[in-house]
Amino acid sequence: MARKKKYAMFIDTLKCVGCSACVYACKSENQVPEGFCRDWVVQKTEGTFPHLSQLIRSERCQHCENAPCVTNCPTGASYYPGDGTVQVDRNLCTGCKACIAACPYDARYIHPVGFADKCTFCQHRLKEGLQPACVTACPTETLKLVDLMENSSTIEDLVNGRQIVKDKVHAGTKPKLFWLV
Amino acid sequence: MTEIISNKLNPYVYPNLDIWHYEIPLYLFLGGLAGGLLILSSGMILFKKESIENKAVRWATLLSPVILSIGMLFLLLDLEFKIHFWRFYTAFIFTSPMSWGAWMLLIFYPFSVMQALIVFKDYINFYPFILKTIKITEPHLQKIAVVNVHIGTGIGVYTGVLLSTFYARPLWNSSVLGFLFLLSGISTAAAVMLIICNSGDKRTFLKVDMYLISLEGFAATLFIIGGVTSAGAFHDAMVYLISGTYAAWFWVLFILCGLIIPLLLETLEVLNKVRYSPLVPLLVIIGSLSLRFIIVNAGQSFSTFY
Amino acid sequence: MGVINRRDFLTISSAFLAGSTVLGGGFVLSPYRQGEVTSLKSDKVVKTTCELCFWRCGIDAHVKDGKVFKIAGQKDHPLSNGKLCPRGLGGHGLLYDPDRLKHPLIRKNVNGKSSFHKATWDEATTLIASRLSEITEEHGPESVAMFSHGFGASFFKTLLSAYGIDTFTAPSYGQCRGPRTEAFKLTFGHGVGSPEGLDIANSKYLVLIGSHLGENMHNTQVQEFSQAIAKGCRIVAVDPRFSTAAGKAETWLPIKAGTDIALLRSWIHILIEEKLYDEDFIAENAIGLSELKKSVRDATPEKTFAITGIPVEMIVKVARDLGRYQNQALVHPGRHVTWYGDDTQRERAIAILNALLGNYRAKGGLLSQKTYPIPKYDFPKPKKSSRKFKSVYPFAGSIPSNEIVDRTLADSPESFKAWFIYGTNLIHTLGDQKSTIEALRKLKFVVAVDVLPMEITGYADVVLPECTYLERFDDLDARAYKKPYLAIRQPAVKPLFDSKPGFEIARMLSKKMGLPDLFPDKIETYLESRLKKIGHSLVELQEKGVFVNQDSGLYRSQNEKMRFDTPSGKIELVSNKLREKGFDPVPKYTQHPENPPGFFRLLFGRAPMHTFGRTANNRILGELMPENELWVNAVAGQDMKLKNGEYLYLVNQDNIKSKTPIRVRLTQRIRPDVVFMVHGFGHTDPRLKTARNRGASDADLISHLDVDPIMGGTGMNNNFVTFTREA
Repeated sequence: MARKKKYAMFIDTLKCVGCSACVYACKSENQVPEGFCRDWVVQKTEGTFPHLSQLIRSERCQHCENAPCVTNCPTGASYYPGDGTVQVDRNLCTGCKACIAACPYDARYIHPVGFADKCTFCQHRLKEGLQPACVTACPTETLKLVDLMENSSTIEDLVNGRQIVKDKVHAGTKPKLFWLV
Repeated sequence: MTEIISNKLNPYVYPNLDIWHYEIPLYLFLGGLAGGLLILSSGMILFKKESIENKAVRWATLLSPVILSIGMLFLLLDLEFKIHFWRFYTAFIFTSPMSWGAWMLLIFYPFSVMQALIVFKDYINFYPFILKTIKITEPHLQKIAVVNVHIGTGIGVYTGVLLSTFYARPLWNSSVLGFLFLLSGISTAAAVMLIICNSGDKRTFLKVDMYLISLEGFAATLFIIGGVTSAGAFHDAMVYLISGTYAAWFWVLFILCGLIIPLLLETLEVLNKVRYSPLVPLLVIIGSLSLRFIIVNAGQSFSTFY
Repeated sequence: MGVINRRDFLTISSAFLAGSTVLGGGFVLSPYRQGEVTSLKSDKVVKTTCELCFWRCGIDAHVKDGKVFKIAGQKDHPLSNGKLCPRGLGGHGLLYDPDRLKHPLIRKNVNGKSSFHKATWDEATTLIASRLSEITEEHGPESVAMFSHGFGASFFKTLLSAYGIDTFTAPSYGQCRGPRTEAFKLTFGHGVGSPEGLDIANSKYLVLIGSHLGENMHNTQVQEFSQAIAKGCRIVAVDPRFSTAAGKAETWLPIKAGTDIALLRSWIHILIEEKLYDEDFIAENAIGLSELKKSVRDATPEKTFAITGIPVEMIVKVARDLGRYQNQALVHPGRHVTWYGDDTQRERAIAILNALLGNYRAKGGLLSQKTYPIPKYDFPKPKKSSRKFKSVYPFAGSIPSNEIVDRTLADSPESFKAWFIYGTNLIHTLGDQKSTIEALRKLKFVVAVDVLPMEITGYADVVLPECTYLERFDDLDARAYKKPYLAIRQPAVKPLFDSKPGFEIARMLSKKMGLPDLFPDKIETYLESRLKKIGHSLVELQEKGVFVNQDSGLYRSQNEKMRFDTPSGKIELVSNKLREKGFDPVPKYTQHPENPPGFFRLLFGRAPMHTFGRTANNRILGELMPENELWVNAVAGQDMKLKNGEYLYLVNQDNIKSKTPIRVRLTQRIRPDVVFMVHGFGHTDPRLKTARNRGASDADLISHLDVDPIMGGTGMNNNFVTFTREA
């Protein structure tokens, strides 16, 4: 029997230079239509000249454990396949956009065909034993997809005592993108 | 100072939420009105069985399912994948208000249509099946009316809850919104019935509408206070509504034209200080319609959740 | 943003382990679940070499139904290591660019109006051959110059040199890396190379002088940069702009533009005065320390503060940190270094600083790189030219392109009469646009080989459409690198339209130019023959994409006796070669012009998703960055009454206005006396439908060039702009 998985992504903000290779890799891999994206990069600069600090974050669907898109989806098109991800079944989707309104991370868009679409953690690649396209392309090795059910030592090595930031935790969504700052 | 640069490509959410246009506010308005008409007509039937002879009540029973159907048409227009409409009925998701709404319709239509059929039974002399059904159900009109009051309330509340369960959208995420939209729906229904009713009933409906407008004003006040007194994005969203881009629309169109002026004029009309004018209920309708547009649009343009 | 500490995180992760996925709630009647995306499965994967920039990463081109739909980094290629930068990932945007040059074009004058006419390859090549023969007969083959960028030019060079034409120039020298090459050659006996021989990954202390790694997305270098960050490398960014790299830095020194040499001299001064340099290494391997010491004596931190605006304690702190890390510290030589006209001297200062740190062939320092051994193809011996081009700049190791422009404009029998331009948009590249255009007008004949209708093609008499890198073989790539490698560029798909690979074009031309036996019948024959000499076959390389030799002797061993390819055989802290030609043997600081009131110094650079003009028309890459912006300090911009996001025209000190408007970005991230834009936008050729009128071009405004008297590089950063709302 296949072991249960729980995928999450660790994103090292110190390594990230914000080049957006992740975005382009995703767009080709998943044939994301022109004018939309499943992942994106946010650059945040704080302070006044010359005392500045910068944080760069590659962002995408958080694959929340308590995903408002899933609870708000009227047809069950957004669902948990059981590997820790959140997926959209485009055969069930009516394009009502409730999931888009529900997502605190604004991670979804409507594909021109009519269904809601977003990052899948490249589920199709994971099934083939490959890493997601963004993770593979990233020149700075900023992105790491981790199975939280697997040995925690990998995770500890990855975190290495650093602070972890999660986005909008007060939304209660239990997001699964972890930014190392 | 903070400079944020995002390269997100997604016109639906960036720079702000932009998913619902005219269809959804119209749907919410028509849904609320249909619910209100059902509540008022069924309520009056419950209150006095003879009400079924009343012109306004008769029209209300008929208009309710018709208006909801028009609303549904707008909902369908909003769907991006229209041929998947039937997918609402291959699932029941109890955490999704939209799913509740979809299934509620399955109860709404038989009961509201049944009520309308009974009310208009004299005009129906075809289809023996329908006649037979009317015959069987007619003695239970009061029971049907009880159910309809509840369904009407459900529909009315639903139009607000649809928005208010989105925690991610700070303006919408207010538990008062369902209550506000319900009351607004009923008062609009009263206004519609005020227009339709015989001149002898005007006074009654004026009083009903006055009462409902007051309640709606109370709910609106609660909505504003609730927002202003909360924190973070929720506070900012309400401040945006009452003082931002949509402030003029909100205060003039909804509060002034939709609530204060009609309430004032209706009071004067009841006191026989001024003569009744159909313009007054029209103002209520316009106010109620603009409320849906303002809330849906402002909630989208201030969609940042932080 | 919520912050949780690590302990919290671990408890959360154990909650994960308990494994409770919150239910969606409810039931779904569905016979099956289809959550997966319908991603494309490739029919074949072609291993080839990228050409979105000139780093030349190995790529995997994924093809389905005869179309490239995805490009990924090649796993075994040492320049990509399986990863790829945004530009490379969007390479198919170039391949399927609808604005590509589709067929040869010939300029014809009809009724006094000159316009392009579609031509056959036969017509176009015949015309080129006859015109070149006319011109070379009248003025000699020395009157023809070839400009190029990229190794696709190699067969054209072979062709022209067989014909007796041997004036080859590339703007990548005089307008980019030239000063660095000469300065390091003068100091260490060899250049830095491209890809740069820098051990950034193992560096413990990295100083960047205006180098904006991260925005400059040379794949492997950025990979190393992030590895260094991960290993805790301390970074110092010297830049008037808070670049991405400055955002990663422990110390950002927002230096007053144009004063870098003063800062570098001060560091040299402190290292020597406080004896923080690698004394053993210098004693063993370098000459000129005492003279150096004497000549930088005046570069005190106090004086340097007055010049650079960098606080004394910061100057001293960085110098002492450099001294602490010594061998493991690295001062990055940069890449585009033609800034102020004294660039060779600035690069010399950087070279000297690295020498003092003793980081030469040390872990984390400067490296000398090797090439993968492969003999050349046996082409017939080229004709020897009677009067070989001689630069007026004594240390010009290559020909500065700007000198060709000057020599074309000069009224002398030696002036150039024809240009053969391969893959370089000189209008946006050379600066001093007016002279370039004048030269182009004066020429008797201009050939341009390009993929896109760049501005330069509009000045050509014949335009030849080359196919993109994804549709052609090229020469083998075996440049010097830390891991010597040999890589192939091969077609993933057949050439689109009526475009042809460079080899084919050169071969067609060779037949018309009376050199029928110059090239073998097919490029495969050429490649096979070269590969056979080292015991490999073309098929093997096509399958593998790359052969890699393991690095050996990258780092110097203890007590290794090193010999440098300099006159003294040692590292030359003081250069007598420079002295002999009348230049400062040790870099001196000279003051550069300051911005007039109301004007800002114009600086330019890169963005990660673009390679200057080459990608400006790429619809895939343009999605995230369709235009460039002008960075203006928020306070300075408000003083000038600028609004964030508004479009403005720029006017420079010579009253030249930008051809297109640019969007203003008011930001804290830049000094108030400079403005910055990404180079490569503001195209005006109507045939570039996507790039046209997007953003502005700095090239329009770089009318003043400060030419480096040492090697002829063109300093471009002494141009100043102000704003106007008038079109």
